Amino acid sequence: MLELKNVKKSFGGVHAVDDVSFTVKEGEVVGLIGPNGAGKSTLINLITGVFPCDKGSITFLGKDITGKPPHMICKAGLSRTYQIPQPFYNMTCLLSTMVSVLNGKERENMSLSDAALEASYYLEFVGLFSKRDSLARDLNLYDMRMLELARALATTPKLLLIDETMAGLNPVESQNALDMIRSAQDQFGITILWIEHVMKIIMSAAQRIVVLHYGRKIAEGLPSEIFNDDFVVKAYLGDKHVKSK
Amino acid sequence: MVKINTEFRRDRIVLRLDTKKYEWVIEPRYWRNPILGVLVLMVLPLFVYQYPNLLTMITTANLYAAIAIPLGLQIMGTGRMNFGPQFYLGIGGYTAALLNLHFGWGPGATLVATIAVCLAVSLLLSPITWISKGLYFSLITLILPLAFLDVTYVYGDIFRGEVGLSGMSPLFTLGKVSWNYLAYFYCSLLLLLIFLFVSDKIGRSRFGVNLAAINENEDVARMMGVNVNRYKIFYYVLPSVLTGIVAWFIVHTFRTFAGVTYLPLEFMIKILLISVVGGRGFVYGAIPGAYLIVGLDEALRGLGTINYFIYPLVLAILIIILAPKEGVYGLFHRHHYRDYYASMKVRRE
Repeated sequence: MLELKNVKKSFGGVHAVDDVSFTVKEGEVVGLIGPNGAGKSTLINLITGVFPCDKGSITFLGKDITGKPPHMICKAGLSRTYQIPQPFYNMTCLLSTMVSVLNGKERENMSLSDAALEASYYLEFVGLFSKRDSLARDLNLYDMRMLELARALATTPKLLLIDETMAGLNPVESQNALDMIRSAQDQFGITILWIEHVMKIIMSAAQRIVVLHYGRKIAEGLPSEIFNDDFVVKAYLGDKHVKSK
Repeated sequence: MVKINTEFRRDRIVLRLDTKKYEWVIEPRYWRNPILGVLVLMVLPLFVYQYPNLLTMITTANLYAAIAIPLGLQIMGTGRMNFGPQFYLGIGGYTAALLNLHFGWGPGATLVATIAVCLAVSLLLSPITWISKGLYFSLITLILPLAFLDVTYVYGDIFRGEVGLSGMSPLFTLGKVSWNYLAYFYCSLLLLLIFLFVSDKIGRSRFGVNLAAINENEDVARMMGVNVNRYKIFYYVLPSVLTGIVAWFIVHTFRTFAGVTYLPLEFMIKILLISVVGGRGFVYGAIPGAYLIVGLDEALRGLGTINYFIYPLVLAILIIILAPKEGVYGLFHRHHYRDYYASMKVRRE
């Protein structure tokens, strides 16, 4: 579904993403992990067209999307959430979600009223229907993250990029968010590429994990393999925690 | 072949063009307040028609509101603060006046030419809405009318500098002078109402939803599939053309047009004040804002030199009181909420 080939991105002398290649197959949940500054969010920005790639190519559903503007990538079926929630603070939840409904994948016979109805469906799905008329700035962190998820789902994506959605959530909220993402995958049949720092969550949710360190891919495999990989343990915790040493 | 299907329902008209569907709400209760407002404006000159000064004042207020309405739309749609809306007033005004004076074009022909020239210039300049952000955009738009003002001085043989152009043909003439004043008031009101209707319709359409999103965060709007650049061109070009039409109206109504009246900073500040005092987030706010500012301007003029202190003081107090309440219209709107989509609120700080 998604294929990255030798993707590179530098900011000045810093190689934020350096020769990264991997694929995401349809229906998978792929985890993307790595210490702070590993280049995970930059990679998401490259995939979604926020930054242009210096080198390499990104293919989505067989089409080259390298260098395409974000709105075209969104219409192609690729949506994202943000590490730091970026709601439209002065807009209501319903109106925010309507923006996605109206501009995501082309829908036939979609008037403004129909868009409001469809947006309500996504808000109901994430549990925000009762707050549809609340301004986004009046929501708590969990609700903001759910609004982001509703907005992303409302574009009807085939591939959803989730950027550290558990950051700042307490264990109960994290579990709820995990359940929500799992049910979204079941209900809408979406594929997920998920950046996460909370290892317990990503190890249980992902079928495959890709590890980045200083912009380079250092490992890829099943969660159990990654958990015991010496390179990964070293990258996260340092030399003294490597078991095989 | 495009399939067109129109459906009339009790509360709305539904139009289908191939796979696109549009709806217009026609339920009377949602139009009650606008209709009441229009009636008040229509009846107003009947009380003051014996006083040409007052009639000219409220005609001017209508024209100022007609400039402020598209400006409000532009500020929200481009997500940028335009400090030079009067640039297109200059472009449109001089286009109409010069073509009328030198080539003898009638008001109809000059209207078409004004629209065409404003469209061409605004399209040419529209990339600045993507290229320059924040303060840079404001600075560029601030410089444009001032540079144009200098041009009117440098090429004084064409633009007649400080004196301006005069003697353009009128839109129409009636038997009595007072009838002319009254007729021009109603023409300015018609212009204002057309602009209001167009802006209101845009605000309540999918264009309006996307406008709100761009105004909030254009990067996130892009991520949600909004073609931000296309919308920015639209929201830069349309208000520019509408402003040009106001200039055309001024040329053929007052029959005199000088850049020194419309292009300097003072004029721009007046228009921005109308937006802020009226209510920046609402297209309707421009009308009470324009009447308030123009009325205040006239009322304090009689004070003599002390006016130079009193006028800014009163304006500062008005801004301090009204800006946090989202202007005069914001105060009204808060207590008389009557939008069709109960949730379509876009609040501005």
